[in-house]
Amino acid sequence: MGLILLDSLPLHRIPCYGLKINMSRNSIKILPGALVCEESKLRGDITIGSGTIVHPRASIIAEAGPIIIGEYCLIEEQVRIVHRLPFDQRNKENSTPVLLIGSHNVFEVDCNVESPKIGSNNVFEAKCFVGNRVTVSDGCIIGAGCRLTEEQTLKDKMIIYGSRCQMREGLDKPQPQTLQIETLTKMLPNYHHIKKSNKKN
Amino acid sequence: MELRDINYNKSDYVETASGNKVCRQTVLCGSQNIILQGKVIVQSEAIIRGDLANVKTGRYCIISKEAVLRPPYKKFSKGVAFFPLTMGDHVYVGEKSLVNAAIVGNYVYIGKNCVIGRRCTLRDCCVIEDNTILAPETVVPPFTRYSGSPGSCIGDLPECQADLMVDFTRSYYQHFQPTKLI
Repeated sequence: MGLILLDSLPLHRIPCYGLKINMSRNSIKILPGALVCEESKLRGDITIGSGTIVHPRASIIAEAGPIIIGEYCLIEEQVRIVHRLPFDQRNKENSTPVLLIGSHNVFEVDCNVESPKIGSNNVFEAKCFVGNRVTVSDGCIIGAGCRLTEEQTLKDKMIIYGSRCQMREGLDKPQPQTLQIETLTKMLPNYHHIKKSNKKN
Repeated sequence: MELRDINYNKSDYVETASGNKVCRQTVLCGSQNIILQGKVIVQSEAIIRGDLANVKTGRYCIISKEAVLRPPYKKFSKGVAFFPLTMGDHVYVGEKSLVNAAIVGNYVYIGKNCVIGRRCTLRDCCVIEDNTILAPETVVPPFTRYSGSPGSCIGDLPECQADLMVDFTRSYYQHFQPTKLI
């Protein structure tokens, strides 16, 4: 009889002390002048600089440590920016690494970026994939549909293009999209709920 | 060959008076600027950005799962303007494709996972194969088949392509039925 009694104990009565889920700890800082749509998905410790626009359905996931996004970045829909370390670098005792994303970067629709460090003035075109072993410097363009997974550091002004991910060096940095950001900051608040900025300069 | 029935959960879709079937899990931004002419299917997690500019589709269009319709922008000396996206009748857009075109003609087939670059013009009766990436401002002539990255012409299409697309989109619409409860 005693056994049966134990079995019928409802599961939710069993106490589970010390069970904390890390992902639930969201701390999102939005500086004034940034425009973050309510429908975007932000997880973890994220700082978004002023002038940056996050479209609906973009997801930024700070799994391994905080993400800091600079000024005037453009993050379009279906973009996934994930801060995730390669397997062999996990569980090392040095403090949590920070993913720094510079300013004037453009992340186009459906690109997937896991890079540990991103400079400024880069363009990640639609449907590109940048793995977590690729460090991106300044002024690079990763073409539409290109996949970068090998461990490497992209030099300044590198351009990746075509079906075989060819590489060449550009003459100039890509033009910053400040004009588009200006238009979007006027248009988007008319149609979307915007997350309020919660930090003062 | 007859298409097999494609079933959906009735509670997931809204059917309008003109026969549009729109999934509830889609993102239709600025819905007052989106015109679906009738008998259009918009499947789950598709995104239509009506907030940027007008989006107009013809009759019998099929927008598959996770596809994105996004009006293109053009830079001027004074700023950036977004241009309307118009789509003709009997257009199929495959899964996860991004359409950033200015004009998509009638009877156009766009495969899976494509990127149609900024301000492209797709004329009537063309086929964009799966995983194609069209560079910005490409013009795809009628009756051609495009493939590759960057997309280029790989062949021609028969004159009956228009009829084939009409058959395909009509039968897709007819076979897109709610699951029947037994």
